[in-house]
Amino acid sequence: MKILVTAKRVEDAESKIRVNPQGTGIVPEGLKYKINPFDEIAVEEGLRLVAKHGGEVVVVSIGGKEVQEQLRHALAMGAHKAVWVNHAGALDQLAIAALLAKVVEAEKPDLAILGKQSIDDDQNQVGQYLAEFLGWGQATFASKVESLESDAEKGKHPGVMLSADGKAVVVVREVDNGLATVECQMPAVVTTDLRLNLPRYASLPGIMKAKSKPIQELTPAGLGVDVTPKVVIQKMVPPPARKAGIKVPDVATLVDKLKNEAKVV
Amino acid sequence: MRAVRASTNPLLSDRDVAFLLYEVHDAPGLLELPAFAEHSRETFDLFLTSVRRLAREALFPTYRAMDAEPPSFREGRIRVHPAMRSLYPQLVELGLLNATRAREVGGQQLPLTVFSLASAYLMAANLSAYGWLGLTSGAAHLLEAFGSPELKDTFMARMYRGEWTGTMALTEPQAGSSLADVQTRASAAADGTWRLSGTKIFISGGDNDFAENVVHMTLARIEGAPAGTRGLSLFAVPRLRPEEGRLVDNDVQVAGAIHKIGYRGLPSLVLSYGERGDCRGWLVGPPHRGLSLMFQMMNEARIMVGLNGVATASVAYHEALAYAQERTQGRTLTERDATAPQVPLLQHADVRRMLLRQKAIVEGGLSLLVATSRLADLATHGDTPADRERAALLLELLTPVAKTFPAEKGFEANALAVQVHGGYGYSSEYPVEAWLRDQKLNSIHEGTSGIQSLDLLGRKVMAGSGAALRVFQEEVGRTLARARRAGVEAAWCDALQRSVDEVVALTHELGMKLMEGDADGVLRHSAHYLELFSLVAVGWQWLAQACAARDALARGDADTGFYEGKLCAAQYWVHTELSRVPALVALCRSSEDSYAKMKPEWF
Ligand SMILES: Cc1cc2nc3c(=O)[nH]c(=O)nc-3n(C[C@H](O)[C@H](O)[C@H](O)COP(=O)(O)OP(=O)(O)OC[C@H]3O[C@@H](n4cnc5c(N)ncnc54)[C@H](O)[C@@H]3O)c2cc1C
Repeated sequence: MKILVTAKRVEDAESKIRVNPQGTGIVPEGLKYKINPFDEIAVEEGLRLVAKHGGEVVVVSIGGKEVQEQLRHALAMGAHKAVWVNHAGALDQLAIAALLAKVVEAEKPDLAILGKQSIDDDQNQVGQYLAEFLGWGQATFASKVESLESDAEKGKHPGVMLSADGKAVVVVREVDNGLATVECQMPAVVTTDLRLNLPRYASLPGIMKAKSKPIQELTPAGLGVDVTPKVVIQKMVPPPARKAGIKVPDVATLVDKLKNEAKVV
Repeated sequence: MRAVRASTNPLLSDRDVAFLLYEVHDAPGLLELPAFAEHSRETFDLFLTSVRRLAREALFPTYRAMDAEPPSFREGRIRVHPAMRSLYPQLVELGLLNATRAREVGGQQLPLTVFSLASAYLMAANLSAYGWLGLTSGAAHLLEAFGSPELKDTFMARMYRGEWTGTMALTEPQAGSSLADVQTRASAAADGTWRLSGTKIFISGGDNDFAENVVHMTLARIEGAPAGTRGLSLFAVPRLRPEEGRLVDNDVQVAGAIHKIGYRGLPSLVLSYGERGDCRGWLVGPPHRGLSLMFQMMNEARIMVGLNGVATASVAYHEALAYAQERTQGRTLTERDATAPQVPLLQHADVRRMLLRQKAIVEGGLSLLVATSRLADLATHGDTPADRERAALLLELLTPVAKTFPAEKGFEANALAVQVHGGYGYSSEYPVEAWLRDQKLNSIHEGTSGIQSLDLLGRKVMAGSGAALRVFQEEVGRTLARARRAGVEAAWCDALQRSVDEVVALTHELGMKLMEGDADGVLRHSAHYLELFSLVAVGWQWLAQACAARDALARGDADTGFYEGKLCAAQYWVHTELSRVPALVALCRSSEDSYAKMKPEWF
């Protein structure tokens, strides 16, 4: 089978992220970048499925030439080939989904696995749009019963698997009050939640092999997609700094303050 | 975003690692050598990313548990902490066992320069877990270099694949520092193998229950061989030997486990060879050449121990730094208001002194280890024979320094990390005490600090009429020239220049005294000489870092805080450590004899 996965480049949550003084974006200096953790889980799930059923994993990233780093990382994890949609400017979720739809049409995968959202903008839209554009079924928030992937957990059935006849994908979804299992005819779109798996680390042999794996370059124009954003970021502001707390001498004072100052009781 | 995040201790500073690789030690320069042509900055960075994640997410969270529950010894076998069963395969999967080795043996020819920095994360996270890997890799490399094709097939290949582990088995109860006294015997058997008998002690990783087999790289004396180190041969002695397609017991028994104060995840064992007269060994390399072959593994291990020292100091430094930022206590000297809020520890000058000292030791030591690793890369893969020879000379000179400085000063740094924590540091609720215990080992194993100092002063600086020392002097001179051009404070450059000149002059004098036969007078101050040399070698590294920092600030790099911190640490080293050079030089020159003339009964 053929599986298409995404690998968006995002700021590493461990770097210090600051909004620039103009409020137009964040300060890029000194930031570290990595694959969106939800996408990394998508790559891992794709690799596990082809390890079991045979086939190949194609990884896609959209952005300037720096996203090749994330593609190379996914190739080092074991993905077979990469598609880079070269576009340096701003993109909204609709445009991203439209670009991915074109790549999917060209690659014809059985499954497209995406992170449910990316940790930079936290939108949670692209997978759903993509399914709509393609007219495919979708199973979002693929998850597992327990998160930590202990050895015992690894042995249990995976959160994403194929049906007995190999024509559908069976997905355990994380929903508000627990887990739901859905079956979706393929081709389909699956989006991943954090508990689905624990992605592998790229091994040194994997890193060396990745050097000779192909990265195909495409452009929005070449794909025939108008990427002019319909959603524009007007302004970014950092969350207000938290004020220092105070210590009250006793419970009576606390109750008094809650009643008369905070007016919450 | 991973579910498992044990702590925010970074183990090593990623920023510092990138700085050392790309701004100080010119890792990209290595890519021009044919051996490393398949690498790129991208492969280095991806590799470092994987290794540091494994260190932070898998190794570090199991450290405390492995310290609290050392391996148990029951019915002649060792059971390790269950965590090792999943950690070892993870280390192997990453390709760490043979990362620096050639393609022919499944390796990826990664420069040691990069590997050393990567492995420092693993050691800082969990030195015992790393120990299994380091020993196996070193043992397999011995077979790779000196073993017959048959030995490579049966032993080395399985060790590099992670199926079998390895040890270095040198020490015996009566032969610790003095390997000349090794007594384990080997007698020739009709089948071409050897029968071994004897006892080894402190053999790290001597048994486990996560790998199928263990191969002990053992020093033993062939019957009738001369006394001393010239009569030692090297043997591969497996716990289980292959026989007619099966693995059978090879009569090497675990006779006991040492209870240790640190490094508790890796068992150090008493091994008894040939109690039933059925212990087979396979000779590696020619007879009676064992010690010189073993030196390949010992020299690699010495660099590893140096890294271990830096790593163990580093993780404690980061812990202490975070603590000093969070814990509030007291007020600044000028604050008169007793009701003003207490300030973080980091506000106090003396706490900053302790932290800057740790930073200077950790980052100066790490830089020295990177320099040493780079020399090892050049000594093997340098462009011309002259390049290789020059690198090898300097590598040999610096090995005892790179092994000992992190152990000795790292212990001081680890003590300071406890000190910064105050009373809490002295309690086992906080992890800093454990690293202090772990660190102590580094001045003992792989040749004690005393033995290293004798190696440096008695051999390394004197060899070839001081050839290695001349190379050292030239290299320091090059760094100084660059530093002056970069605008590093002239006073710092002058101080390093003076220190190097003094070391060279002193060494010439001591060389003359040695030739006049006063070995006792000269060598009684070997420890002071090693300390002196270390201060200068690390001073050299601090000026190299200051130079890179000045360059970065001049080109307007936005990360000014990082570089200013480097300059402060360099300044600290010049003023508090290089300033001690004259006193140590005087001590070595004087052959001051207080302890030499002490009679045993006067103590
Ligand atoms: C945890 C641990 C793990 C170890 N792992 C291994 C291993 O895997 N394989 C292995 O073979 N060995 C191993 N060792 C052994 C280690 O290498 C020895 O302990 C070390 O070489 C010192 O030998 P010793 O303990 O007999 O001390 P000694 O040699 O008795 O030394 C005691 C003191 O006397 C000093 N001294 C001794 N001789 C001289 C001299 N000629 N001049 C000046 N000073 C001298 C030493 O510096 C030291 O301070 C390990 C030891 C420990 C503690």
